[in-house]
Amino acid sequence: MMPMPAAAKAADRAQYLTFSLSGGEYAIAVLSVREIIEHETVTRVPSTPGFVRGVINLRGSVVPVVDLARKFGLAENPVTKRTCIVIVEAAAERERVVMGVLADAVNQVVEFAQAEIEPPPSFGAPVRVDFLKGLGKLGGGFVLILDTDRVLSTEELSSVASAPTETAATVPAAPTGAATAVSGGRA
Amino acid sequence: MEFDAEALLLTFIAETEENLRAIEEGLLSLERKPDDLETLQLVFRMAHTLKGNSASLGFSGVAEFAHALEEQLEKLRQRERAPGPELVTALLEAVDALREMLPVAVEGNHEIAPHHREVLKRLAAGASPLRPPLAPPVAAGVPSATAAPAAGTPEGSALAAEAGRTLRVGIEKLDRLMTLAGEIAISRGRVRELIEGGSAAAALAAHQDAAQLHAELQDLVMQVRMVPVGPTLRQYVRTVRDLAAAQGKQARLAIEGEDVEVDTTIIEHLRDPLTHMIRNALHHGIESPEVRREKGKDPCGAVALSAWREAGSIVIELADDGAGFNRERIVEEARRRGLADDPERLPDAELYRLVFEPGFSTAERVTEWSGRGMGMDVVRDRIAALRGSIAIESWPDAGTSIKIRLPLTLAIIEGFGVGIGAETYVIPVDRVVECMELPARAGRRERQGILQLRGEALPFVRLRNLFGVRGGEPERESVVVVRHDLARAGIVVDSLHGQDQAVIKPLGGIFEGVRGLCGSTILGDGRVAFILDVPGLLEKTLSPNAAAPAA
Repeated sequence: MMPMPAAAKAADRAQYLTFSLSGGEYAIAVLSVREIIEHETVTRVPSTPGFVRGVINLRGSVVPVVDLARKFGLAENPVTKRTCIVIVEAAAERERVVMGVLADAVNQVVEFAQAEIEPPPSFGAPVRVDFLKGLGKLGGGFVLILDTDRVLSTEELSSVASAPTETAATVPAAPTGAATAVSGGRA
Repeated sequence: MEFDAEALLLTFIAETEENLRAIEEGLLSLERKPDDLETLQLVFRMAHTLKGNSASLGFSGVAEFAHALEEQLEKLRQRERAPGPELVTALLEAVDALREMLPVAVEGNHEIAPHHREVLKRLAAGASPLRPPLAPPVAAGVPSATAAPAAGTPEGSALAAEAGRTLRVGIEKLDRLMTLAGEIAISRGRVRELIEGGSAAAALAAHQDAAQLHAELQDLVMQVRMVPVGPTLRQYVRTVRDLAAAQGKQARLAIEGEDVEVDTTIIEHLRDPLTHMIRNALHHGIESPEVRREKGKDPCGAVALSAWREAGSIVIELADDGAGFNRERIVEEARRRGLADDPERLPDAELYRLVFEPGFSTAERVTEWSGRGMGMDVVRDRIAALRGSIAIESWPDAGTSIKIRLPLTLAIIEGFGVGIGAETYVIPVDRVVECMELPARAGRRERQGILQLRGEALPFVRLRNLFGVRGGEPERESVVVVRHDLARAGIVVDSLHGQDQAVIKPLGGIFEGVRGLCGSTILGDGRVAFILDVPGLLEKTLSPNAAAPAA
């Protein structure tokens, strides 16, 4: 690392926490990370998509834990001693929500200037482009900087929740207006 | 310094929202009772305070607006004008505008937006035509909970939202809390001392004292959270007024039981469902003045919101004297959607229950006010999430009554723990009728079925299958018989863990759509367990669609 005039450059520099996920290296802005905890028993939530691992008790608060490897469709690694849960604050519609993100291992905190972050490639990344803020250069490789507000948005996480595996009996919610036109087949 | 400024702003926002609500209520009451000088004084004083506060914080736009409001009120005071509907509408518009300006001003923008300038002009002229407001008025009437300020940066609106979730607490209650906290600290020290070097009996006694104090603290915290329903219910006076005006109808909302107290969280969650129900009542229930006259009713419809307590729960009833449910149309829609085999033979209560099905609508046309947006199914789900129930009664041409029954508090329930595989679920004890071993004859492995209980058929659902739990199938299973309204059903589980108090944590955000669960709690060993939504489960189990094998 080159020495740099810290105060002058501080404005456009930001710190990121890097972590491993299925062999790849990812990063989250440090400002949205609340804490990192050891992996613990996660209580499964029925009828939720697979990438929602469940919930944990974080000092009395019930916090959902998301498995980004599954969300991104990557190969899953078994839980090891290095497996962590990164507690992240993400902006939902009206409030900030606290969520846990499963990481195979947490690596380091790095600093990037805005100019050093490259825009995400339009193809070839293992992750949907709109989930990425960009790529940061690290050592010989790249680290994928995640847009946690996007990835962990309520919409993103509950989009599948309404089409669960076990609740076959529920009628699909059709917009009230459209329902009138559609249901001919039933009668 | 910066922190202080933020605290000041929070206080200002909370106070201003309170003031605006009071001004709104005052104006509505003035419209009905123009001679009520006391109310007029109060409204005037509020507007004056608002002007002073916003000016001292440098919110020039808000101050200018408040000044215009005050001027009109002064004219009322001087008896230069009478509080007719047009002036009241103009004043209410100004209140709405002020509400919208608040978050913008907090962000540091003190300009008055062009559409607010228009409002200001109408206010100066002292009249606004009675017309349907552009935005649903309720959204404006509900601070922060639903009304996300349109032009707010995240920071500003977050600040406003934070201010919306405050609660005023009497100092003496806080003092008592403080004392209790102190006493608990002392008794904890005593317990520790005795554990380190005292007799077990003495330690146990000290521990019991501490437990007593702790229970007291818990009670007090619960009490502090209780707020009267009045302010929330009163907001709908405005809603009813505006909705009726927009549809060319006449209606008046009467409120009863304002003093009934309920946990503040419940109040917050009630707002949207109530809004929806009131819209429905105004749209489908209350007829136009001409029709009402023909039917020999008062042309002005009567809508009533009442609250009362009943054995550990609070009941909120919305009643109107409108047309009542159209049985035929519900039957027709039910048949068309295949919700029941023989809908015309269903008793009223069961038939009306069908309107809670997703997408169910008997509205002939979708209007701005009803027939879209939040459906009755969402109302039902919200109420279920609060562990409440909802019942409809309706009489042709005489009106409709919808009763919502809710627990007084969301925070703590007596829970009955059950196990499936390694997972634990909690059933609210007030839903449990009895528990027993599952008779061997009752089908194994099916997700649901019917078993014989003392000669009566009892539908059951197997939680293991329903929730997709894998592995570790037990030798024997148990069934917990639960009830909701008049319906009963069995929930088949692997094991029974027994009764314990459960502190409820709401299921928020991404889990809102999960059916069959209504909250979570933390078990003695620190793990999280989910609380079953019994009405939701029963509905799944008992509804004709669910019972039939997938066709």
